Amino acid sequence: MDAAERDLFERTLRGAVTAHTGDALDAALAEVGWTDALALDVPTAVSTLFALQGGAHATSSALDHLLAHALGLQAGATSGVILPPFGQDDPPGRVSGDRLAIAGLGHASLPARDDAVIVVRVDGHEVGVTVPTAQLTLQPVGGVDPTLGLVEVSGDLPASAVGQGAGPLPWASAVDLARLALGHELVGAARTMLDLAVTHARVRVQFGRAIGSFQAVRHRLAETLVAIEAADAALGAAWVDASPTAAAMAKALAGRAARTAARHCQQVLAGIGFTTEHEFHLVLRRVLVLEELFGASRPLTRDLGAELLHSRRLPTPTPL
Amino acid sequence: MELDAFRSALDSWLDENENSLKAPHTGAETLDDEMAHLSRVKRLTYEAGWMRWGWPERVGGLGGSPLLRAYLGEALTARDLVEPGIYSITEVLAPTMIDYAPPELAAVMVPRLLRGDETWCQGFSEPGTGSNLAALSCRAVRTADGWCVTGQKVWTSLAQYADRCILLIRTGGPDSAHKGITALFVDMDDPRIVIRPIVTMHGVAEFSEVFFDDVMVPLDRTLGEEGQGWAVAMDLLPYERSTALWHRAAYLHRRLERLLEAAPPGALDPAAVGEAAQLLYALRARSRRTQHRLAEGERLGPETSIDKVLVATAEQAVFDLVAEGLSADVVGRDDPVSSRWRREYLYSRAATIYGGTAEIQRNIIARRLLDLGADL
Repeated sequence: MDAAERDLFERTLRGAVTAHTGDALDAALAEVGWTDALALDVPTAVSTLFALQGGAHATSSALDHLLAHALGLQAGATSGVILPPFGQDDPPGRVSGDRLAIAGLGHASLPARDDAVIVVRVDGHEVGVTVPTAQLTLQPVGGVDPTLGLVEVSGDLPASAVGQGAGPLPWASAVDLARLALGHELVGAARTMLDLAVTHARVRVQFGRAIGSFQAVRHRLAETLVAIEAADAALGAAWVDASPTAAAMAKALAGRAARTAARHCQQVLAGIGFTTEHEFHLVLRRVLVLEELFGASRPLTRDLGAELLHSRRLPTPTPL
Repeated sequence: MELDAFRSALDSWLDENENSLKAPHTGAETLDDEMAHLSRVKRLTYEAGWMRWGWPERVGGLGGSPLLRAYLGEALTARDLVEPGIYSITEVLAPTMIDYAPPELAAVMVPRLLRGDETWCQGFSEPGTGSNLAALSCRAVRTADGWCVTGQKVWTSLAQYADRCILLIRTGGPDSAHKGITALFVDMDDPRIVIRPIVTMHGVAEFSEVFFDDVMVPLDRTLGEEGQGWAVAMDLLPYERSTALWHRAAYLHRRLERLLEAAPPGALDPAAVGEAAQLLYALRARSRRTQHRLAEGERLGPETSIDKVLVATAEQAVFDLVAEGLSADVVGRDDPVSSRWRREYLYSRAATIYGGTAEIQRNIIARRLLDLGADL
């Protein structure tokens, strides 16, 4: 897409994400042709939608579509792709003896679908197995962000089910793409937290002046913007680098930026931000969940450090 | 020349000429040695043409995108051929001359800086004017023979080596604040200029106090118009936070990689190493965007304060790791390699102070980028 097309695409998606969430947003995205855009220009389609979705704390099945796209699977109207459990990036299916153990997370729409696509790791590669949802145990996840409507998926099937699986599938590159998407969503959410806190700091008056004039408050908000812009730039570079390490670093930076935003903005919003009468808590809840999908910032950072200490090399920098 | 062609041609030239460009790194080198080496590298790269790319033809350049300059500094730094702090001063002062000096003056002077024939310095800070630059009091009176300058500057990097100085002075009344400031281009060989170098805690007389006692400066050495000095300074500072930072990031990358090679097993905390690598990645990603904006002719402004906060944070993260991973060397050894780590660690403490403190950068971000109103 060129600059003008990207601008139009962004405005159209902004309208959809602001007005809708859940099934209605999925319908709006279908109308806008988001999956067509995904086929044409992955970085633009992903970065634009996920940043906006994070900013509006809206939900959609875009991550499902993205995984299906990355895995080369038919993005099904009737089947959903199962995500790894919280805090993990291994495929949700694992063969142990003659059994196929399934543990993962499904999108809110999963119970209404006929099938689930489960990526299974066998002998060091991954295959996709389509399983009727009726054969799985689906348990709604309440958790910290019930508005996401996630479903915990578990199952125990005969390992023979894997025999009909499609593969090998590029699971590792699907993980990279998911990390970039979630990174953009985290940055979008962090920007909303910052907007909320900045708006509050401009109008909330104490001691006869706006609290945004106090340096202690200003520096928290400045610190937040620095973290957000650092993560945003890293995401941009990670699309250029297209390496697993870059995607993991960008997700970690985005997760940490969102945590920094949460800490500082919560403090600036003070009492009102602690209530359900203010929007802040919805964003905080979303951030906590997004952090846990496909690896949170802390373990990603520790794993990167361990890898660098082992190789004694830094990742190749993005060329100018 | 396009960046890719420039990159591969420069890389082969550096491969061939690396030995003649190498710094001695004996561990005992003085700043005099480093300055002499820098002049040599600038002269060789100028004569081979590399140093001229990315600068306009009217100041002796060969034209082309500023990205070429960014890559030259990156390549020289990544190969440990220059110290980025003293190398990148060109990136800060030459654009100011090009933008504000009378064209004939810029045409004569800028090539001398690029070729390493001359060293320039930047006379901004004063004893009473650190963060609050607009309060500067070094003053100049307009006479028939030119500006008569009297007063004092401090923290003037490389003043004792400098042939010229881009000097901010007060030409308005004492209360004229940023409106009464003018920028001058001053010859430093005037006997009425007295320079007293100051030794920093990393053991280098990198900056000086500079005293001006009725120093006469011709009127045609005025940069911009009388009273336009604040604009000159505000346009100069983003240069301090753009290409120079790209070079510095390349230096931090090389030093962190060297640390990974040198640190004994178990000496470094993986989480801290991972975080430093991520900070460096984010810094380079951010600075890369800034280089491209500059190359597209965008005017840089307060958003470069974000780049500045990131470079200071990354630099201190890297050298905190050095102090941790190579503690025995930093604390107790005097061989050249250990001395260098120690010097660099100590210097990194200043990263949140020079060029606008970390607090001033956050004030700029709050006021200019977050629109939180004036500082009280």
